[in-house]
Amino acid sequence: MLADMAESSPTAAGTPGSATDEAGLLARLRAGDDAAYEELVVRYAPQLLTVIRRYLPEEHDAQDALQEAFLSVFKAIERFQGDSSLATWLHRIAVNSALMRLRTRRRRPEKAIEDLLPRFAEDGHRADPRAVWSIRPDEASVNRELRQMVRAAIDELPESYRTILLLRDIEERTTEETADLLKLSPANVKTRLHRARQALRELLDSRLGETAR
Amino acid sequence: MNEPRCEEHRHDLTCREICEFMMAFLDGELPPEERAVFEEHLSLCPPCVQYLDSYKKTIALGKQAMADPCGIDAPRPPVPDDLVKAILAARKKQA
Repeated sequence: MLADMAESSPTAAGTPGSATDEAGLLARLRAGDDAAYEELVVRYAPQLLTVIRRYLPEEHDAQDALQEAFLSVFKAIERFQGDSSLATWLHRIAVNSALMRLRTRRRRPEKAIEDLLPRFAEDGHRADPRAVWSIRPDEASVNRELRQMVRAAIDELPESYRTILLLRDIEERTTEETADLLKLSPANVKTRLHRARQALRELLDSRLGETAR
Repeated sequence: MNEPRCEEHRHDLTCREICEFMMAFLDGELPPEERAVFEEHLSLCPPCVQYLDSYKKTIALGKQAMADPCGIDAPRPPVPDDLVKAILAARKKQA
């Protein structure tokens, strides 16, 4: 099976993903070697599909975006300069492909974010006492369940807010880059990012219950 | 036990405004005078301090959870063989 190749042992050309291995693969791709193209797709498709699914939870959208991403890669492989690793370059193309798909597909209604924003008393001060979060963020690096829980909470954000949070906080794109990619003003990106973080905080607050209270 | 409460009610800056300007505060985008007022509110309002702490932790937790899409625990359902074949066939058509 094609997918089984993703788990194959390191080759004599180097450990998969290593610079030596990458240079060898690139040389074969540029030479038009069919087997190299198959190796590229089989090796990188799983991680690229994982990245794309963050933006496009519906499987058919994600698969279409993956296919479009690889077609872009095939077209551009000659021009790849090696300024970043191959994996990083592919990752960026996959994100761009997901964003393109988000822009071109029919817009779907999304849930309102207002229910996930903090509430205040009429005088503008906090109506409810806040729970203290005793958790340390670095716990996530050793706590698999916590990472899964945070990922699930991010998935719950309304799509347009999740996209901005992913681009700014996870991909670490600048406000201007994000604005450009999403055809929004920088001010709008900032407002939406703040709301996305507030909403995610709210979702985590309810899930971190025992840890936080 | 008394819950921590905002003691800042008598001042102009509300918890709602603190919340609104929190990102600008963290990004260092508030002018010095506004930053001083913001910090003064925090010194009097334990709930806003707690909110700010959890807001910062939210950002950090998100980064930790999503840092490595290829990490050992990241969900990586297999890519269907048909999709791989379709991608490779599309390359042939593209050529």
